[in-house]
Amino acid sequence: MDQPELITQLQLGDESAFTKLVDEYQDMVYNTALGIVQQADDADDITQEVFIQVYQSISSFKGDSKFSTWLYRIAVSKALDHEKKKKRKKRFGFVQSLFGGDGEEQVHPVEFDHPGIQAEKKESAAALFRALKQIPDNQRIVFSLHKLEGQSNREIAAIMNTSLQAVESLMSRAKASLKKELNDYYQKNIT
Amino acid sequence: MNKQENINRLIDDALKSADDIKRAAVKPFLLTRIHARMNKGKESLWEKAGWLIGRPAVAFTGLCMILLINITVVMVNKPSATDYAVERSSQQQLDEFSYTVATIYEIDNTQQNDK
Repeated sequence: MDQPELITQLQLGDESAFTKLVDEYQDMVYNTALGIVQQADDADDITQEVFIQVYQSISSFKGDSKFSTWLYRIAVSKALDHEKKKKRKKRFGFVQSLFGGDGEEQVHPVEFDHPGIQAEKKESAAALFRALKQIPDNQRIVFSLHKLEGQSNREIAAIMNTSLQAVESLMSRAKASLKKELNDYYQKNIT
Repeated sequence: MNKQENINRLIDDALKSADDIKRAAVKPFLLTRIHARMNKGKESLWEKAGWLIGRPAVAFTGLCMILLINITVVMVNKPSATDYAVERSSQQQLDEFSYTVATIYEIDNTQQNDK
């Protein structure tokens, strides 16, 4: 079954087409989410949400863009929503702890260990992912899609619904921000 | 090598660390989990209501509200000392100036009428 046929079958509510879609795109969606949220369980939750959203709104896909672009767009937007919710929970947990609650909803950041990184680069990659968390969302998305998903600037521009120049500018700003964050981190931690 | 040179080298290493990254694998049975989640979304209104009411925070708040309403109703309808005094004096007046005809006379009269 080729892609246009798969989409047509999905739009007709074919269950086997949905199974095939999940099978084909699960790694792409999961890794996109993982690069943004940096938590395996959260990325798994987001992946499920993305496929449910695709199942429910496949009729709205008109084929103006590539299907993978549409899917990336949903994955990025779900991952960012998840991040926002998590930040709200963190703030609520802090307020709860001020009023004597145990603040069990508080989220403690843990160092992210991406399973796809080579063993000898784990330490450097952990510093990179820590720095990625500190930079603005747009820069983080551009950098993640390029480095982790291997997307070209043109494809990233289509995913983010922006111009090629804007993506290039975001990429160079992302690199500069990451260098600054990494420099601050190593200045504090290297004697 | 001084400290800043060492840091610059570490920064370059960090930026290059993701260059040949491999994709992470999704946990098995993703499709089953997606279907379970879809079915969870289809639960009935009563199930949703039950789940909501069953939450400790909602249950406790509800209980407090019911108690508060009960206490308010009792306090509002509680007879005051003045009400009791007025009721008592009017009862005394009725007793004193009672125009109630004793039942025995009615019986007697009825008997006379029969004759």
